[in-house]
Amino acid sequence: MKRVLFFGLLASVAFSACKKSSTTNQSATDISGIKTISVAFDQLASQPFTLFRFSDSSVIANTDSASNNWDFGIRFTTFIVNSYAGGPGNAGVIMQNNIFDSVKSAPTSGYAYDTTSAQRAIKDGSWYTYNSQSHVFVPKAGKVFIFKTADGSHYAKMELLSVENGPVVPPAQTPTILYYTFRYSYKANGSPTF
Amino acid sequence: MQKLVFYILFLLLANNCFAQIDSSKKSEKLMEEIVITSTRTETKLSNVAVPTKIISKKYIQQTGALKLQDILQDQTGLVIVNSNLSTSLNGYPNPFSQGIQMLGLDPAYTAVLIDGEPLVGRNAGILKLGRLATGNIKQIEIVKGPSSSLYGSEAMAGVINILTDLPLNENAQAQLHASSNNTFAQTLSYSNRQEKMGVQLFMNRYSTDGYDLDNTTYGKTIDPYRDWTMNVKLTQTISPKTKMLVSFRNFDSKQDNNYQIIWQTAPAIVKGYTKEKDNSLFTQLTNNTTKNSKLFFRIFYNNYDNNSFVNLENTETRFDETSFIQSILKPEIQLESNSLNRKYIAGIGTYFETIDASRYAGKQKLTTAYTFTQNEWYFLQKKLTLIAGARLDKRTDYSINLSPRIAIAFKPTNHWKFTTSAGYGFKAPDFRHMYLNFYNAQIGYSLIGANILSDELTRLQQSGELENGIDISPYLIKNILLPEKSFGTHLGAAYSSPNLNIEMGLFRNDINNLIDVYLLPFKKTSNRSIYSYHNTNRIYTQGAEFDFKYIVSKHISLALGYQYLEAKDKAVIEEINAGKLYRRDPITYKTSLVTKADYFGLNNRSRNTFNAKITLEDQKRGLLFLFRFAFRGKYAFTDVDGDNIADNDKEFVKSYTIANFTMSKKISNHLTTQVGVDNFLNYTNSLQMPNIAGKLFFINVNYSINHLINKN
Repeated sequence: MKRVLFFGLLASVAFSACKKSSTTNQSATDISGIKTISVAFDQLASQPFTLFRFSDSSVIANTDSASNNWDFGIRFTTFIVNSYAGGPGNAGVIMQNNIFDSVKSAPTSGYAYDTTSAQRAIKDGSWYTYNSQSHVFVPKAGKVFIFKTADGSHYAKMELLSVENGPVVPPAQTPTILYYTFRYSYKANGSPTF
Repeated sequence: MQKLVFYILFLLLANNCFAQIDSSKKSEKLMEEIVITSTRTETKLSNVAVPTKIISKKYIQQTGALKLQDILQDQTGLVIVNSNLSTSLNGYPNPFSQGIQMLGLDPAYTAVLIDGEPLVGRNAGILKLGRLATGNIKQIEIVKGPSSSLYGSEAMAGVINILTDLPLNENAQAQLHASSNNTFAQTLSYSNRQEKMGVQLFMNRYSTDGYDLDNTTYGKTIDPYRDWTMNVKLTQTISPKTKMLVSFRNFDSKQDNNYQIIWQTAPAIVKGYTKEKDNSLFTQLTNNTTKNSKLFFRIFYNNYDNNSFVNLENTETRFDETSFIQSILKPEIQLESNSLNRKYIAGIGTYFETIDASRYAGKQKLTTAYTFTQNEWYFLQKKLTLIAGARLDKRTDYSINLSPRIAIAFKPTNHWKFTTSAGYGFKAPDFRHMYLNFYNAQIGYSLIGANILSDELTRLQQSGELENGIDISPYLIKNILLPEKSFGTHLGAAYSSPNLNIEMGLFRNDINNLIDVYLLPFKKTSNRSIYSYHNTNRIYTQGAEFDFKYIVSKHISLALGYQYLEAKDKAVIEEINAGKLYRRDPITYKTSLVTKADYFGLNNRSRNTFNAKITLEDQKRGLLFLFRFAFRGKYAFTDVDGDNIADNDKEFVKSYTIANFTMSKKISNHLTTQVGVDNFLNYTNSLQMPNIAGKLFFINVNYSINHLINKN
């Protein structure tokens, strides 16, 4: 047990170090670390998607949705990628059953796109299990998302670690925010090798 | 009204009996234990070839326990588990019910019979064990392993047959019980047999204030309830060859509902009742056609009715209500024939079943026709017994199902017995799997039975309640569920001497086509998920059991039991072998491949269960002390980290022990008192095991009068 804790501590130190560097990084450098973003706890179609860009690890305003400035977006548990029905970009994704560290390179073909609004690259429900006791969406372990970014010329690998419910403030019964935490790695020079 | 009848009867009986008090003791002849469940004919326990255990009336009385689960929990291989109910009132805080797990299978797979006839009214396959009072139980017989060859569907894991008292010589008994939580019970029974007629009456009233394990939440963990049980049996000898038995059983229960919900974004209290009524009528004609053969004609009718509602406390308006009415009619004929080296039985019957439930689509009917036969041969001066039998079941909606079984018993000496048996079991999809139409407003999902899925999806699409552009055609093919099937084997060895009894057994069950819930790949326009049922899982359960009984001296006896159990999903094992199953460390968030050692097994199964009973007796002083311990090893509760298997501490319930103590003191030939403590280690777990009350003190006063009538 002690050993696990020790490793846990080591890991978290390592990640926080990465995180620090990633937030200050600009698009010119590689990014590798853990990121948490907040997404509205709202499944209605009127709710705008929370958009994310890998190259500088930032959340992009939804007003900028008709651009190549973002790679994927989340509404509640629905993922979009920036292509076709999702947006004007060329972003695609491959969901691989693998261990994050074992994914050494991104495939050159086989990417799924948001072909239509009913046929998304990432199927809703494909990446989580819902725990009816704790009412949380738990990302399935061993699922690695390999992204081709919106500009079509960069690669990133991503793994969802957790989706946590924000605080519930009575009299509301549900939280207002979901916290998505994921680990990802982005290559700035366009190389498919991680 | 019922209370009044009860007391009038009590007075009448008391008058009748007290006038003719007879001090002569009941003749205690040492009889060999006879069982009926294993082969559907009366057989000496020592000759039975399939794994069979009995719980005697004497033991039940020594425990002082009033409800069935308190008796069954300390039997080797039986585990009282909390299982999820499929439907309950919206927002109801306790989602569990207690059921029996046998050979590692869920409560839905054990047939529970009363005098050979089924107990009905299952919720998610679970029969509420509290429905059964213990006061009139003559003997409980437990048969482990697939028993569908005699009992059809539901008897996949085994059978628990509760045999109740039959009319005997004049005898009256009364018991008063009081225990913690303002629990009171009164029991009265009367039996008489004269000339050609016999009568047996039993009445029990049980009421309790319930209990609360968590003071921080509104309402009690278990709300107050009261139960009435009544059983009347009449026997009549019609001719020297023909006997008749009529038995009427009535159970009537009322429980408060009182809990907190969220109503229009604010907390609100809802209150109401759950009423449960269970009535059955059983008639049997036994005809001794020849000296060695018998014919049984039986008709069994049962009606189970469960109604519950809650109203908002402030406005007195209905918040939610459910109803569930299930009735069965079961005519059956059975033939039995005996010769020196052979015993033969055969039977034919029909099972008419109707269900009308608020959460099922309309009133549903099913009919099952069945026939069974079994041959028992004896060789080598009865040292070797061979049994072969099979049953055919044809339910209206699926093809004929065949369930064969064979068993062999070998008794080389008086002390040793070796047995082996193998059989097929099956369980037909129940009404819930087929017709449930349930919308959970609090969590927000729909659960639709397989048989109504196509109609319901068509309706939803036409009314625009499904997402646009969805192709529902794969779900429009009538999705008929197949029966779940199992194959089980058992290997046993037993040693018995007057003071020592040792039994060992190894078992393995493979189950295919297990019905499970699945998520449809599209949603409603409201973004609500839709679930239905399909045949999917393949699991196995295997293990070993061990029983040890030793009479140390005239004063001390000891009984120990242990079960080792493995219950696993074959698909999960295949995924692990193929290197396709991952887990995430809850602390480091590191993902890794699941190894075989990481996989504990199916939820709700303990690897180790252990029980111990210690009896200290001083016959001279009429004193008896009984200690009972039931240990349940840790078991998986739920998956928290998304890998669908339980593999970290948060996902388990820790092991626990329920310990009970009873002291009985015989004050006179007629009067016995008992005091005791149930769960004296005070184990509670409000979240995961809310149906276990804490420590309970009790006192029983038993009064009994026997009057032996010399008919000559």
